[in-house]
Amino acid sequence: MSISIHNIQKSFGSFRALSNVNLQIEGGELVALLGPSGCGKTTLLRIIAGLETPDAGQILFEGEDATERDVRDRGVGFVFQHYALFRHMTVFENIAFGLRVRPKSLRPKEAEIQQRVHQLLELVQLDFLANRYPPQLSGGQRQRIALARALAVEPKVLLLDEPFGALDAKVRKELRRWLRRLHDELHVTSVFVTHDQEEALEVADRVVVLNHGKVEQIGSPEDVYDHPATPFVYQFLGDVNLFHGRVQEGHARIGEAEVALPLGTQSHESAIFFARPHEIDILRESPGASALSATILDIRPLGATVRIELDREDGQGLIEVEMVRDHYQRIALKEGEAVYLQPKRLRVFGEHELQES
Amino acid sequence: MAYSFSTLIQKRGVLPGFSLTLGFSVLYLCLIVLIPLSATFLKAAPLGFQGFWDVITQPRVLASYRLTFGASLAAATINAFFGLLVAWVLVRYDFFGKKLIDALVDLPFALPTAVAGIALATLYSSKGWVGHLLAHYGIKIAYTPLGVVVALTFIGLPFVVRTIQPILEDFETELEEAAASLGANRWQTFSRVIFPALAPALLTGFALAFARAVGEYGSVIFIAGNIPMVSEITPLLIITKLEQYDYAGATALAVSMLVVSFTLLLTINALQRWAHLRKF
Repeated sequence: MSISIHNIQKSFGSFRALSNVNLQIEGGELVALLGPSGCGKTTLLRIIAGLETPDAGQILFEGEDATERDVRDRGVGFVFQHYALFRHMTVFENIAFGLRVRPKSLRPKEAEIQQRVHQLLELVQLDFLANRYPPQLSGGQRQRIALARALAVEPKVLLLDEPFGALDAKVRKELRRWLRRLHDELHVTSVFVTHDQEEALEVADRVVVLNHGKVEQIGSPEDVYDHPATPFVYQFLGDVNLFHGRVQEGHARIGEAEVALPLGTQSHESAIFFARPHEIDILRESPGASALSATILDIRPLGATVRIELDREDGQGLIEVEMVRDHYQRIALKEGEAVYLQPKRLRVFGEHELQES
Repeated sequence: MAYSFSTLIQKRGVLPGFSLTLGFSVLYLCLIVLIPLSATFLKAAPLGFQGFWDVITQPRVLASYRLTFGASLAAATINAFFGLLVAWVLVRYDFFGKKLIDALVDLPFALPTAVAGIALATLYSSKGWVGHLLAHYGIKIAYTPLGVVVALTFIGLPFVVRTIQPILEDFETELEEAAASLGANRWQTFSRVIFPALAPALLTGFALAFARAVGEYGSVIFIAGNIPMVSEITPLLIITKLEQYDYAGATALAVSMLVVSFTLLLTINALQRWAHLRKF
C-alpha cells in the first residue's frame, strides 16, 4: 500500500517537532527515516501509525484520506523500540493477541489461530519458544516476536520505531540483514526509524534524512551518501573533514593550497569544503600547489582500514584520513612525519548554504 | 530443594553483609512479632485442648468469626474495586484538586480509629445525614453488620490505592499502544493487557486491606452496636473476656484468629509466588 504524506505539521507546546513534511512512499518499499535524536522521525512514524495526530496536513493510504482514521482501523503493524510485549502472556498468546481481539464475526477459528501463529513463529525462526514468557527471551528474540505479533494481523504497512536500538552491535547487524531478507520475502510496505546511518544505508530502499523537523534529503542510499544535498546530510552520513576557503576560477583555495574543482563550480568569496577521510591522499613528495602540508599526529589501525590523524601546518585544525591497510603498510608512514595532503574529491557549500541549515 | 542452607548463603554471598542483616532481621522479628505472639500461645495453654476447643467454638464466638471475616472480606473486595478506580483516576487524569484528593486517601491511616468510628456512626445512624436518607428506603447501616462493613471499608481504602498507584504510574503506555495497533478496543486493552499487569498489586492491596480489617477494633465498636450473635466482632469478644479477667479464654480466641489470618495471608502470598514463578 502506498502512503502519501502532505504538509504534515506537529508541535509539542512551543517545540516544533515537524514542519511541512512531504513524503511519498510507494507500495512494497522499505524506507528509512534517518536523523539525530529530536529530529522528528519518531513523531512522523507515530503520525503515520495514528498514535499521534498532526496539527495540520494529510496522510493518504492508497490515495484515501486516513488522517482521522483510528489506529485500530489503519491496518498498520507497529514495532516498538522496547518491544512492548505483553509479559503476562506466552510468546504464543502475544502473537495470537491481534487475532483474538477481533470481533466475533471476523475472528478466525482456534485451529486457524494455532496454525497462523506457528507459521509466524517459523517465519521468525523461533517456533521452539512458543510457550515461554517474554522475560525469558533475549533482546533479539523479543524483537523478532514483536515483529511476528505485528505481522499476525496482516498489516498493509509495517512501521518500526528504532527496532534494533536496544540491541548490542552484533545482534543488531544480524537482525537488520534478516529484516531485509524478510522484507524481500513479504513485500509489505515498511517504514523504519533509525539514528544509525549505517543501518539506514544497509537496509533501506530509500532513505529520508530529517533534521529539526524538516526533510533534508530523500534518495537511494547511494544518492544520499554520494550526493548529499546539504551540509547536514554530508556530516550526518559519516565522518567528514571540513576546510574553510574561497572558490576562485574553478579552484578551491584553502590556505596556500589550490585544488581544482569540477567544471562549472560557482565562485564564492567564502566557502566550506567537505572531504571524507577516505577521499584524501597522503603523499611524501610535494605534488605542487594542490596539496596542504601537515604532520602525522596519531596512527590507529581499525581492522581493515587505518585511521591517521594529522595536524595542518597552517594551524587550521586537525584532519582525519582513512586508508586501506595494504596501502598503509606499503608506504609505511610514521608518527611525527611531515607529509602532503591531497583531496581527491571536495564538496563545496557556499557560506550562505551553511547558514540555512 | 537440593541446596543446603550453607550453599544458599554462599550463593547469595555476592552482596556483603548477608549474615549480619539476616541475623538482625530475625532478631527484630523475634522481639517485635514472634515473642509476643508465642506468649499468646503460652497463655492459652492452661486451657488444654478440649477447653481451648470449647472456648473457640461457642455459638457466640462462631457468629463473631463469621462477622469479622465475612465483613473483612466484603470490605476488602469493595476496596479492591473502588481503590483501583481511585488509583486509576489519580494516575491517569489531571484535574483541579488532584493533590488534595491524593492526600485525602491517606486520611484513614492517620485518623484515630475511634474518631472514624464515631464520625461514621453519627453519619449513618437513622438520624444522621446519610442514615436518614437511607432510612426512607428501610436500609439501616449503623448498629448492624452493614455498619461493620462500612467501617472496615473506610480503614482499608489506602492499602489498595497505595499498592496499585506505583504500578500504574510505571505502566508503559507503549503496551496500550501496541494493543490498540493490533486492533484491541479500550475494554479489551484494559481487561487483557492492563488488568493482568495490575493483578498482583491488586491482590497485595486486597490482602493488606483484609488483614487490617480483621484486626480492626476501634472504629467498628462505635458503629456496630455490638449485639451478641448479630453485630459483635471477635476482637470485641476478646476485650470482653479480658474485662472479665478470663485471660486464657481471651488468648484462646486470639490464637484462633491468628491461625486463620496467618493461613489466609500465607495462601495469598503463595498464590502470588506461583503467578510470579510461572513467568520467570
